Amino acid sequence: MTTVATWGRQLFWLLALPLVLLTLWWVASADSTSIFWPPLSTILEAFPQTWDADRIVNDALPSLARLGIGYALALVAGVAGGILVGLSRTVRALCEPSMEFFRAIPPPVLVPVIALFAGYTGSTSKIVTIALGCLWPILLNTVEGVRGLDEVQLDTARVYRFRSRTRLLQVVLRGASPQIAAGARQALSIGVILMVISELFGANRGLGASIVQFQRAFAVPEMWTGIILLGLIGVALAGLFRLVEHRALAWYRGVRRADRGA
Amino acid sequence: MHRLFTRVARRRGRTIAALTLALTLSATATACGGDDASAGDGSGDDTTAVTVGVIPILDVAPIYLGVEQGFFADEGLDVTLETAQGGAAIVPGVVSGQFQFGFSNTISLLLATSEGLPLTVVADGVSSTGEEGNDFGAVIVPADSDIKTAADLEGKKVAVNTLNNINTTTTNEAVRKDGGDPSTIEYVELAFPDIIPAIQKGDVDAGQVVEPFLTIGTSSGMRAVTDNFVQTDPDLTVAMYFTSEQFAQEDPEVVEAFTSAMNESLDYAQENPDAVREVLGTYTELDADLQEQVILPRWTSEIDVDSVELLSELAVTDGLYSEQPDIDTLLP
Repeated sequence: MTTVATWGRQLFWLLALPLVLLTLWWVASADSTSIFWPPLSTILEAFPQTWDADRIVNDALPSLARLGIGYALALVAGVAGGILVGLSRTVRALCEPSMEFFRAIPPPVLVPVIALFAGYTGSTSKIVTIALGCLWPILLNTVEGVRGLDEVQLDTARVYRFRSRTRLLQVVLRGASPQIAAGARQALSIGVILMVISELFGANRGLGASIVQFQRAFAVPEMWTGIILLGLIGVALAGLFRLVEHRALAWYRGVRRADRGA
Repeated sequence: MHRLFTRVARRRGRTIAALTLALTLSATATACGGDDASAGDGSGDDTTAVTVGVIPILDVAPIYLGVEQGFFADEGLDVTLETAQGGAAIVPGVVSGQFQFGFSNTISLLLATSEGLPLTVVADGVSSTGEEGNDFGAVIVPADSDIKTAADLEGKKVAVNTLNNINTTTTNEAVRKDGGDPSTIEYVELAFPDIIPAIQKGDVDAGQVVEPFLTIGTSSGMRAVTDNFVQTDPDLTVAMYFTSEQFAQEDPEVVEAFTSAMNESLDYAQENPDAVREVLGTYTELDADLQEQVILPRWTSEIDVDSVELLSELAVTDGLYSEQPDIDTLLP
């Protein structure tokens, strides 16, 4: 009984603001005659026709696949590189200035350059763009996380003669995981932005490309449906991320709770 | 010491506040730019300030020449030319009142009309030369490509500056006339300057370009396969100058003055190719050699209604819209 009530309350807090915003949009745009600001009802009507099965399969899914591959690459490279850099003072001293340099370059600027190497069309250049953009927050946060590890823990693991594999996975990776998660969350929103930006250049299909095409063809309600869809994808990805993080970092919440209790 | 610090801090705070205010003001000014831009009519002297949205390509040379020659000043117009990325970006600018006039390709104007955007054409923009092998736009391929004719473009990857504008429509028509099936072509959108490197790299099999990129391509060893504008119609009206219906109704004298100065500019440009080549250097980064080599389009003060009608039919064939818009409301 209580759980149902809690769930209900949670659902209320979750939906309250979106519902208020949607109502405001609906009311404010209801009598709009401006072509570029159509009534929300028109946009919602256009939604199912615009994003039919064909468009989902040919535009939305390939975009999401590119995002997934680019993000996964960044995650693997960022965590591996971050552990390497974080564990060794020498490597860190060597790499830190360069890392800050590359991090400061916004990936959209690199899109034409990446195209020169990875091709103007096709998925490679888009995946590289997404991966490069997502890499830095993950890498730098992993370095910070590894550097902030408890020396005593590391020493203890060494004294107990943990195997290096166990030490790496159970002590280093686990200890740094809260920071890694923070970096990964940042990278996810950057990835969604880059998924769209990478398609503005040399694309003929994809979510971002479709939105621009609608704009070029003056199909304004359809353009708005694309923007709404992007937002919904963002919400879904954030939810998915929170779910994974919730499970992976369950131990961390336990530690924090214990700390607070003590 | 402490007081000094606070004073500095306070001053800095004030500077930041002033900066923020300035930024907000300029943002607001940009946001309602439409209102101030059209102001100035009838205030004291007889000049009216108008802003025209153009694309920095060869096609708009006449308006630059006309401003230089004083044709617009003679009509009492103080013209500001603002460059935008493409015709599709200029249309919203004109509808929202940011520009009073704009330059856009015929297909984009037809598409906008079919979507219910209230536009009115005020002057011709640029037309095909009508000479095969000597037009200002063509589909180019590498010298050693096995694409020899338009029909060979079937099933190939072709770069265009905007999907679904005049360049795809006319390329499709050229392929169709040559006996090919254009629906098998995979078009990729790339900016004009990126098309030639993409062809060189082998990323795309061919690319549709206009001058000066056509001359840049052919002078670096590429080969024109088909001149898509001539193939579609020797008298093809490729682009036009337009305004919003609202502005045309509110300020008919300004529109009339603009049309008359624009037509004078178009005729002047057609009669003075050397002046055109010279003015190119003022708004493009073209070097002197290329200025001499580029193929000039044809400029005329006459809109070829038949070619606009034809493009509108082709847009239906290509599925850009299902029902032809009313051309009479678009054309003057």
